[in-house]
Amino acid sequence: MSKALDMITRVRGVRGAMLVSAEDGLVVAEQLMEGIKGGAVAALAASLAGRLRRAMDAAGTGTSVFWHLQAEQGALLVVPGSEAAGSLLVVAVTEPDVNIGLVRLELLRVAETAV
Amino acid sequence: MSPHTRAVENWTLQPLTDFVREASARLVLVLTPSGQVLAQSGFSRAVDVMSAAALASAIVASTNELARQLRQAPFAALSHQGPKTGFFLATFVTDRGTLAVLAVYDLDVSSLGLVQLFYEQLAADLKAASPKGAVPKQVLAADFERELTDSLNTLFGR
Amino acid sequence: MADDIRALSAQLAQDPQSLVFLRLGEALRRKGQLEAALRVAMNGLERHPHLADAHDLYARILTDKHDYERAFDEWDMAVRIAPHHTGALKGLAFLYFKVGDIDQAEAHLAAAKRVEPDDPSLEQAFEMIRGGGRPPSRGSTPAPEPAATAASPTAAVSSGALDEARVFAGLEGADEGLLLVDGAGRVLGGALRDASGADVTDSVAAYLAGVSQEAARTAKLLGLGAWNGLSAEGQHGNVHLAHPTPEALLLVVRERGMPLGRLAILAHRATIMAQRWLERQ
Repeated sequence: MSKALDMITRVRGVRGAMLVSAEDGLVVAEQLMEGIKGGAVAALAASLAGRLRRAMDAAGTGTSVFWHLQAEQGALLVVPGSEAAGSLLVVAVTEPDVNIGLVRLELLRVAETAV
Repeated sequence: MSPHTRAVENWTLQPLTDFVREASARLVLVLTPSGQVLAQSGFSRAVDVMSAAALASAIVASTNELARQLRQAPFAALSHQGPKTGFFLATFVTDRGTLAVLAVYDLDVSSLGLVQLFYEQLAADLKAASPKGAVPKQVLAADFERELTDSLNTLFGR
Repeated sequence: MADDIRALSAQLAQDPQSLVFLRLGEALRRKGQLEAALRVAMNGLERHPHLADAHDLYARILTDKHDYERAFDEWDMAVRIAPHHTGALKGLAFLYFKVGDIDQAEAHLAAAKRVEPDDPSLEQAFEMIRGGGRPPSRGSTPAPEPAATAASPTAAVSSGALDEARVFAGLEGADEGLLLVDGAGRVLGGALRDASGADVTDSVAAYLAGVSQEAARTAKLLGLGAWNGLSAEGQHGNVHLAHPTPEALLLVVRERGMPLGRLAILAHRATIMAQRWLERQ
């Protein structure tokens, strides 16, 4: 699990990577830089994922396979795992100027292989 | 009609109001381990508060005893989750003595993670707001019923 | 009115997932057919349990049936789902006023006023509370009835008629897949249809306020500063959410084939157009 998260955190600008239980909003595994509160990231990412899922269901765009919250001082990137994987989220917290495409690929890879 | 959030001891009101809003908790009690309620949110009937407080107090007592028998520190928190609703019970120490928080939340608007996250803030806020140097009041058996009635009247705005 | 109810019933029968139940339930409630209104509202709530407007409708019907305890719970739930739902805030104010809790009634009206500062019904309600100062007894001075003051679903729908087409005129796909809503989840412009062609504008708008609040809270509590966009790839389409002003939200929905980067550029252009349009209003 930790090796899988390594794939994400080695991308320049990534400050932390986690596996989060989507239903409970609890940390399953984490690899975080100093100062990042894993519990808060897990709870808030899961809550936002739930609200986004309802909006996307209503819009008819289907379940999200990747989402990205952009903010002034950083970003939150999330790939929801499959239902079969017990509804886990693969989450990355990044600097604002990170290579989003690269982080997205690593998140998808972790979701496919480790989750 | 259910009052929103009410407190017997006013210093608990703001931290509890913030917690209820942030964690989207449906029902919350702040109580002492002996079952004396300091504040409540979301309850519509006094009898429900009494039952919940008695049950929460009993759970705190039994888990403390389990921890004692296992020769370890008391459990920090306890959580149960059903298909639609979860509850969370935890204790912490303030200048007012040990306090317990019982929170009930609906899984479609909240989660254990959110409740835990904002519980940490609630415990910190209550610790900061609790009256300094206060000696926890002993409730005598003779005064118990009057104390209980007074508390319930305050909690339901009567 | 009877024709309206027949037409709305037919629409609902044709598309049970649609939000037309809000208008049908309200029409039945206004006509005094409370049991029928209740059934419509409950069926709607089963299909849309996270829709604040559905809880608001249910609460108004319960209030008409004098079931104030359950009405309180429903408005309370509506506010938990959408903290800026003025209908629910006014409903709660009404119930607090009814039991004589003037402070709470005023606090809820004040919260509604922060969302809708120009709503004249709020001033009337304030005057009534401050003037009366006492809870109404049965048959005495009327309280600020929520039905009269609450933002009705029909009002929400009609606000969507504000020059919809012109908001995004000239932009790629201006007539569909672009939606501008206010902070309370009410449509200001644009429209959305799902893959089957069904109009999903109102239901998506209702959910967006919750997404935006959670995005703002997440960015703030994680120390990421203010959020400025949320992009998502879905199995059947991609979306981008932005906020042209602090009070408005803009959603752009496009087919799965459009890359998120291009979608963000389109959303940026739509944001500028929405800002200009909002300034003109």
